[in-house]
Amino acid sequence: MSDSSVESRAEEKLMPVTRIFELLFVLLLTASCVWMERKPPQTGAPEGEAVAVEPSMSRPAGQSVPKTDSPDAKTLAKVSASPVPAEQTRKKENATPGLGKPGVPPLDLTALETRLKETKAIGVFTKITLKNQVDDLLDQFRAYYQGRSKISLAELRQSYDMLLLKVLSLLQDGDPSLARMVVASREAIWGILADPAKFATL
Amino acid sequence: MNKRVQAWALIVAMTAFFTGPSRAEEDVSLLKDMTSVIALLGLPCGQVVSVKRLGDNDHIASCQDGNRYRVFLNPEGRVVAQKQ
Repeated sequence: MSDSSVESRAEEKLMPVTRIFELLFVLLLTASCVWMERKPPQTGAPEGEAVAVEPSMSRPAGQSVPKTDSPDAKTLAKVSASPVPAEQTRKKENATPGLGKPGVPPLDLTALETRLKETKAIGVFTKITLKNQVDDLLDQFRAYYQGRSKISLAELRQSYDMLLLKVLSLLQDGDPSLARMVVASREAIWGILADPAKFATL
Repeated sequence: MNKRVQAWALIVAMTAFFTGPSRAEEDVSLLKDMTSVIALLGLPCGQVVSVKRLGDNDHIASCQDGNRYRVFLNPEGRVVAQKQ
């Protein structure tokens, strides 16, 4: 018997084993892909958790949001503790109306802005559209404070709430933790917008 | 020879397996992006069902309700949806 025939017989015997390995490999790949699809996006929040948005029109301007012991508050504190450049720190100091008061989560506009920019829950075109609408609202506030506008503060509040609801509807499924961060910052941001002195620092 | 064919078949299958879903994901995210933009601009659409790319930051979005919009970034940096 020649060497080549021995080799080919050995290959024939090994063929089913290699097929099994190939099949196993493909099965493992499929399983890993299914697992990746099932993985919740970017957050530690439980799957399917809804973000509750309370109507805030009845709340007076500048009033704080009550403190919660949710994991989000811890996340917010962690984000606030992260090192930021000097200019950003100065901006942050100006934009922390609730700081120092007990029961008020600190507002970190820079962190919020960064997270909104980086979130994958909102597409690029949507982000640009939202930014356009935020700029429009800021222009309306500017006109209001300069006496160039007939819009009242109540109407501005309505526009602000509407814009925030749009942001929340976009975030609540894809990035629930960021949605909660926005909800928690809602009144603090309004506190800045509704105060001409604070608004001027923006 | 037989082994080589098998190896190539495996490589082709793997490539199709890994590139297929990511392309589809990209398409789905663009459809969602266009749907959100048109809704944010307050235009009637429902859901965007197909998107045709005209250029960088320039698309034609076809809606579920039959409306078609050209969605693009104008020189001022604003996203505009023009009814077609």
